[in-house]
Amino acid sequence: MSKLTCFIAGAGIVTPHGSGIESASAALEAGSAPPVSEVTNPETGRRHLIATVAPNFTAHIAREPRLRRASAISLLAATAAQAAVAASGMTPNSRTALVVGVSNGCAQYTRRFYEQIVKTGANTASPLLFPETVHNAPASHLAAMLKLDGATYTLIGDASIGVQALHFGNQILAMGDADHVLVVATEELDWILAEGHQLWRLTSRTGKCTPHAGGGTLLAEGAAAVVLSRSDGFARITTVPGHSIMNRRSAPHALDASLSQLGSAQPDWIVDGANGTWLDAVFAECSRGRKRLSPKAGIGEALGASALQQVVIAADVLRRTNSAQALVPTLGWNQQAGAALVEI
Amino acid sequence: MGVVSPLGIGCREAAWALREGRDCIAPVTMFDVSKCRSKTAGHAPYLPSDDTRLHPASRMMISAALETRAGDPGFVPEAAVIGTTSGGMSDGEHYFRSQKTRHRSQAAMLGNYPAQRPVLDALRALGSAVPAQIIANACASGSNAIGHAFRLIRAGIHDRVLAGGYDALCELVFVGFDSLQAATTDKVRPFDRHRSGLVLGEGAALLTLEEMESARRRGAPILAEITGYGISTDNHHLTQPHPSGIGPEMAMTRALADAQREPHEIGYINAHGTATVFNDSSEGVAIAKVFCSRVPVSSTKGMMGHSLGAAGAIEAVFCVLALNEGFLPPNINYREPDPAFDLNIVANTARDTELRAVLSNSFGFGGTNASIILEAVR
Repeated sequence: MSKLTCFIAGAGIVTPHGSGIESASAALEAGSAPPVSEVTNPETGRRHLIATVAPNFTAHIAREPRLRRASAISLLAATAAQAAVAASGMTPNSRTALVVGVSNGCAQYTRRFYEQIVKTGANTASPLLFPETVHNAPASHLAAMLKLDGATYTLIGDASIGVQALHFGNQILAMGDADHVLVVATEELDWILAEGHQLWRLTSRTGKCTPHAGGGTLLAEGAAAVVLSRSDGFARITTVPGHSIMNRRSAPHALDASLSQLGSAQPDWIVDGANGTWLDAVFAECSRGRKRLSPKAGIGEALGASALQQVVIAADVLRRTNSAQALVPTLGWNQQAGAALVEI
Repeated sequence: MGVVSPLGIGCREAAWALREGRDCIAPVTMFDVSKCRSKTAGHAPYLPSDDTRLHPASRMMISAALETRAGDPGFVPEAAVIGTTSGGMSDGEHYFRSQKTRHRSQAAMLGNYPAQRPVLDALRALGSAVPAQIIANACASGSNAIGHAFRLIRAGIHDRVLAGGYDALCELVFVGFDSLQAATTDKVRPFDRHRSGLVLGEGAALLTLEEMESARRRGAPILAEITGYGISTDNHHLTQPHPSGIGPEMAMTRALADAQREPHEIGYINAHGTATVFNDSSEGVAIAKVFCSRVPVSSTKGMMGHSLGAAGAIEAVFCVLALNEGFLPPNINYREPDPAFDLNIVANTARDTELRAVLSNSFGFGGTNASIILEAVR
């Protein structure tokens, strides 16, 4: 039973353009690039361009008691999750599971906490920062906010993690362990992440992300959330386990293997994860001859949040273009290929 | 099964150490702890490798993977579900410290940092590229991974899943627990009245889980049966359990219901038992409430420290060893009962006994709680 199907009952998304699918959709239609800001390594003065989410887009959620000291990653997650839950009309309860996907987790607090250790000594490191460095801090805050006492999971992986989290949620539904699963994917940025990706020559020096045209990617913050339901929703979603990638050479085979797990889909749209890096050539193979949307041109590469953002955008594209099927192939730099099929 | 922990490399060494009640906590030398209150940890044995760039977490995972292969060469996983908390964090620390100078080793440090790297290294050692789900549910991760893998098999989604957990010691997490004053300057004394905190540990453990009939058909060695899994979330606080024990209580009662077992049918509880004041109190109250039959309880963290995302997986291996070899692992460094909860602690020395069913607890930051039930094969 490799592929699993359920319904999307509600969705939410946060991108550098704002909160909600409307702002992301308008930017993609207009071909607008995300707003870019500069971060600097204070030790070396090295500068990097990234696309952050302005704090005013998540300010309303920061008033939640558990979120007052939380890092951006939790605020982004909570903003997307709140929108998805509201759109679904579902009231969270003990039969609601939560699955959160992250890539780097709470990078800002982690860097700040370690910086304290290095610069001023272990005895000065703040106990207020450390708990927020734990990967499941966003999930814990979400569970508290929504009063969930059942299954809560945080998954970690590369940029495919959003679709992995969807499949995990689909598995929980298939096991009969929940009636709804809130799946969230989220990512925040920090200069140290920008510097690490630059070291691997993955980022663009121009502050632009040009999928299928090379030049490197633009790292971005963001989040996405969907409420999965066994019985009803505005879109049907099929997910597969995917395939691990051991190195760059194995990526095409891994993506092929993931797509073959989906079976013979005839999608109207391919909403791929092309981001201006070596991944693009792999995605290009699977979209040959089909209508293709590469949303990272407009919203940036949001790492752990990106695959689920693709899914939310795919569902929106189907609605706007009155189409039936969108294929979402996902591939990260260092873990896994995956795929999801969205149908309306 | 395969395991690396401060108790040794492999199941045999672990079983001997458990029976002896060996205290494997030692001073930390891998980073500077002069400004920390706590100065000890449980260190896994050094694992040499031809690939000098391999992170210690990868080495432990590869060692555990190869032990599973040696024990059951015919096991071919369809998927992997692995728990961790901090991945290759120590290489992230080295990267941070090397900011002012750029050198070639930085790329390797970054390559080792992601949590998926040790998992992929272990899969590569097995010649497998199956999809891997990596659960980061703090200190419950290992049990969550085993529990989810068990459910995948029971639901017929997969027949064979490689499940487990890993974590390697690193400075950031060590200082983190120290800053919370959750780490002790004393010995680790789970459930003792005068317990004063945990010490960290490290390790990796993997279990090959397979649908029973499938395993029987191919003549696989069947070491134990997983029969129940319970998960709960306690929303009280990011780092502290609700004092009532409601989170652990829900996880244990859900695991019992899942296994269709009554509390009196459980012969041993391998407790989470970190030896912090709050954890042991919450867990102790919950165990006393759910298990009125005075089931024997021990925490093995007194011997090896708290290995975070690996703990649930390592302790599941210990439970299987206890089931198969007929003994109760001891709760070492125990001196005086805590009057706040009435437990039948397996104090200081192992006990021989026949076991049919055991329960293993793992709880973590974020209020996540997991319990699994393992049974002897009939």
